[in-house]
Order: sequence, then structure tokens, then C-alpha cells
Amino acid sequence: MAKVLIPTPLRQYTGKQDAVSASGATVAEVLNALTAEYPDLRKQIFTPEGKVRSFVNVYLNDEDIRYLSKDATPVADADTISLVPSIAGGSTVTVPPEEAALTKDEILRYSRHLIIPEVGIEGQQKLKAAKVLLVGAGGLGAPLGLYLTAAGVGHIGLVDFDIVDFTNLQRQVIHSTADVGRKKLDSAAEKMQAINPNVKITRHEVALSSENALDILKDYDLVVDGTDNFPTRYLVNDACVLLNKPNVYGSIFRFEGQATVFAYEGGPCYRCLYPEPPPPGLVPSCAEGGVLGILPGTIGLIQATEAVKLILGIGEPLVGRLLLYDALGMRFRELKLRKNPECPVCGEHRTITKLIDYHQFCGVPNPQGPGVTPAAPAQEAKVNEGEIDVTELKQKMDRGDNFVLIDVREPHEYKIASIPGSRLIPLGEFPRHVGEFDPEADIVIHCKSGMRSAKACAVLRQAGFQHVRNVVGGILAWSDKIDPSVPKY
Amino acid sequence: MIRIEPEPWAAMVSHARETYPNECCGAMLGSIDGEQKFVRVAMPLENAFAGAQATRYELRPEDLLAADKAARARQMDLIGIYHSHPDCDAYFSATDLRNSCPWYSFVVLSIQKGEFHHANSWLPNMDQTEAAKEELSY
Repeated sequence: MAKVLIPTPLRQYTGKQDAVSASGATVAEVLNALTAEYPDLRKQIFTPEGKVRSFVNVYLNDEDIRYLSKDATPVADADTISLVPSIAGGSTVTVPPEEAALTKDEILRYSRHLIIPEVGIEGQQKLKAAKVLLVGAGGLGAPLGLYLTAAGVGHIGLVDFDIVDFTNLQRQVIHSTADVGRKKLDSAAEKMQAINPNVKITRHEVALSSENALDILKDYDLVVDGTDNFPTRYLVNDACVLLNKPNVYGSIFRFEGQATVFAYEGGPCYRCLYPEPPPPGLVPSCAEGGVLGILPGTIGLIQATEAVKLILGIGEPLVGRLLLYDALGMRFRELKLRKNPECPVCGEHRTITKLIDYHQFCGVPNPQGPGVTPAAPAQEAKVNEGEIDVTELKQKMDRGDNFVLIDVREPHEYKIASIPGSRLIPLGEFPRHVGEFDPEADIVIHCKSGMRSAKACAVLRQAGFQHVRNVVGGILAWSDKIDPSVPKY
Repeated sequence: MIRIEPEPWAAMVSHARETYPNECCGAMLGSIDGEQKFVRVAMPLENAFAGAQATRYELRPEDLLAADKAARARQMDLIGIYHSHPDCDAYFSATDLRNSCPWYSFVVLSIQKGEFHHANSWLPNMDQTEAAKEELSY
């Protein structure tokens, strides 16, 4: 039999006992057995409909059962169940500042919000008073920017330093064909302002970094992470934890996406979920792995929904839950996320109390290193030892040198474009083919941009191959400098 | 009615003044004799509200659980919750009511310009739609 501790005021219903034993295999069974024995207790704990009252938290030993298996949490004989009310309050209902009063035009514009009781004038004023920072004006940032602007979020900050590119248009619906070559910030801000001139839009034309992140984030109420790389993701997370601001997170890959809210009122953070970044290159970016163009729409709008709910203070926020979306199966799943008590940034014994070097932490080079100005076109790639540039590769071919050219991309990429004379061995199969090559042979390896082929080179070098070189810039550089008829993708 | 002994009362007032202009919160431990409640120990707890704390407070359930354990360890009972209203009267606000529970006395201390002004105790009903004023002495 498990022991149930009875709060003082309820002991009048249990014959003055401060603890009562009750049997059952789960929390629900124990509570039902308890209240069957002491019927007057029942209405204190359960609503007439039989649900546990909203203010009652049930603890099994020291754990809230919401983070275990809720009602179905198994109970052992030695366990203690406690009933703990959730208590909060405040002197006044937060009144939005005077300047958030709605104009006549705004009342008309937001009328479909105003007639929802959960939003109403008060909610729309909260939206108007809200300051939201969107990190990234790309795939996720596009629907976020458009809808949050339309919804009437009063002040939206955008962080981006990228240029609109043809490959963006398949999904970044905030940019149009005519915007190719323009700054994403300008293109996005224009579209947003056209939708809703009442919204203040602040452009932060920088790469978010450890030096500027706290300064930029501090002026916003919440942050929406629409980035596509690990260093920035950890940076945004840590900055949000340090500043105590919610971080509405989303990520996408091919047909799958994830979303959750981190760093919200003591909930878990990104580091609780992923304490360490994956090895560099293991998780491909959209540029490397591809993404269904519609996917960022779905995930970005889940983030936008959470942002609006947090601002309004309504509903159940996506906190402590990682929402997984599978577009092919058209299924949503949910994973419980727990705060890691040992988390280096939000745990009890935190070791990270200021921002660190996130490129070093993630083991990737800093593309915004010293001397590189934001938004500058790709610099002439430097050719290091063990590398070859496309011009030299072409000369080698033209001379008729005896060498092996290996393409480690995937077959579907090979179909889009290939370099003549190359042999296709996808990276995943590459280690099995090492034995087919002469360790003394002159070997050149390429992929799309040089990341995967660098890994293949490392595999061969480790196997004792002496003359292995990686094509700098991959087939993209080939298309740029040698053969423009080779399509870029 | 609820009687707060001088020592816990002094602790509550100084907690509320120190926390000003933010709201403070804590637990009250003591004993109950029929309708009469006696607060013998005030246990300051952290205001866990994540936003602006000038107008809001939140108790962590874990902290309340610890307060209940502390009370049991001292042969006392957890009988109430206190919090402050900086520059605001000691009424039971809509926010207070909505996030309360019917099991405890809720003492609200009004702190005006950093100094204690007045206090009230409230007893919320089962559905958290109303709170009755409870006679308070200190």
C-alpha cells in the first residue's frame, strides 16, 4: 500500500490522519481507492466530472506525475503520494501600456481576433505591446514574419545578413523572384510592412554572435529561432536562458520537422535535449540534404502559433514537449522533454554563465571570421594541402593525367549534374569500396561543395593512401568556373 | 480567524519590504485549533514567476512540498500562503483568485512606497470564483 500525505485542511475528511495508506497499481487507482474510503475528500481533489482539480498537482515521492506517466504512473508500496496545490497571483491583472490602445483602423483590422473571447481587446493589446525577435529570415522566418505581422505583433525584430538566392524561392515565400540578389532583411521587411503598416520592424543586419546576441535579444520579450545551423542554435538557446526569455524553436529536414518552446518559466532548454552538438557534418543542412518546400511553412506556423499563445497567455504552451512532424506519414508525435538538472546552462550547478565561442563548441569554422564582412559574396576559396581547385582539376583532365575522380554524392544528385569521368560512390558506401583503389594512385574526390568529399579523403588517408585530394567548392565551383552548363542545385 | 505570532509577522513584513518593488511570497506554518489558526513560522519562498515580478508571483510546487515537509518535521501544519502587493491594496485580485486553492489562508500584505501599509487574509472557495475575508490579527 502506498502512503498518501494529506494536506492539513483536508485532514478533517480523513479522521484527522495526516497520512493514509491506499492500494492501487497506478496513481489513479490509489487516488480512487483513497477517495472511495473517504468520500468527503473526493470533492476536494476531483471535479464533479471526475477530473483532478486544476489547482492540484500530484507528486509521487519528489516527482510531479505530469513528468512521469500522469495518472498511469505506477505506484510501489514504499511510495509516497503528495497533493500540492499550484499557487500564483499578483496585485493586478497586467494592463497593457497606454500606447497599446487600439485605433479605430486596428479594431477593424483585428476584428476576427477581437471577437474571440480568449483574445479580445485585451489580448490584441498584448500582441500590440509584444516585442518578438525572429532569428533568420529564411524558410521558417518567412511564414513567421508574414503571420506574426498580420496578427498584429507590435514590434518585430529580424536578424539576417543573407542575400536572396534562386534556391531560396522554393520555400522562403516572403521573397519573390524579383528579390533575388537583394538582402533578405530588406525583402522580408518590405513584404511585412505591406501586410501591416502598424507593425514596427527593426532590421538587425548582423550574424548573431556571442558579442552581439545579448545586446540584441535583451530588448525583446521572446525569441523565435529560425536558424539552420548548430552554432547559432546553441547561441540563441544560451542567450535566451541567460536573459530568461522564451525560445520558440523549430527545425526542418527533408520531410520532417520539430518544434518546441525552450527556456520558458523553468522548462527545459535546447541543451537539456542536446547537451552536445552532433559531430560536424553528421546532420546535413537544408542546402546539403534538401527540404520539402512546404515543410518550413508547417513548422514555422507552429512556432508562430506558440509565440502568439505565449504573448496572449492562453492555452497550453509547447513546453516540455518536443513535437515531431512527419510529412510523408502525415503524423504528429510528441516526446516528453525533461529539464536536465545537470544542464550546464540551466541546471542547478551551471557552468556556463556567459556566451562562449559556439563555432569552436560545434567544431565548425566560423564563416564570419575576422575580416569577412557580412553579406559579402563567397570569397575566393583558399587551396590548402590535400585540396585541389577546379581549375587545376580541369588542367589535369586536359593533360590526360592518370588519376581517379570520385564523386561521393547520392545517385539522385548525380542525375542532376555530374563532372565527366567521375565515378559515383555515395559517401555512405564509400568505406566498403576502399579496397578497390591502389594506395599509390592519384585520387581526386568531389561532392556538391566539398564537405562530404573531405570526409571521404580522411577515410582514404587513414587507410594509408598518400595522394588524395579534395575538390575545393565541389561541383558548384565547377559550374561557376569551368562549365556553366552544369546546373547548380 | 488567523493569528500571526510576532516573530513570523516581523519576518513576513521584512521579506515584503526587502522584495519591494517586486512581489514576495512564502508559506506560513503553525497549528489549527478548531476555527482558530496560529502562524508560528513564516517561511520565505522564491518568487518563481518568469516575467515582471512587480505585479506577479508564482510558487514552485516543489517549494510548497518542501514547506509541507518542513511543517511536518516540526510537528506543525502548513496553514497558509502569504504574498505582497507593492503599491497596491491588499485585496484578493482576479489573478490571485484564479491561481489560488481553497485549502489555505491567503495573507496579502500591502506595501506602499516600500513600507508596510495594511494586510488582509482571504479564503478562496472551491471553484476559485470568490474569496471570503478572514479575520486577521498580528
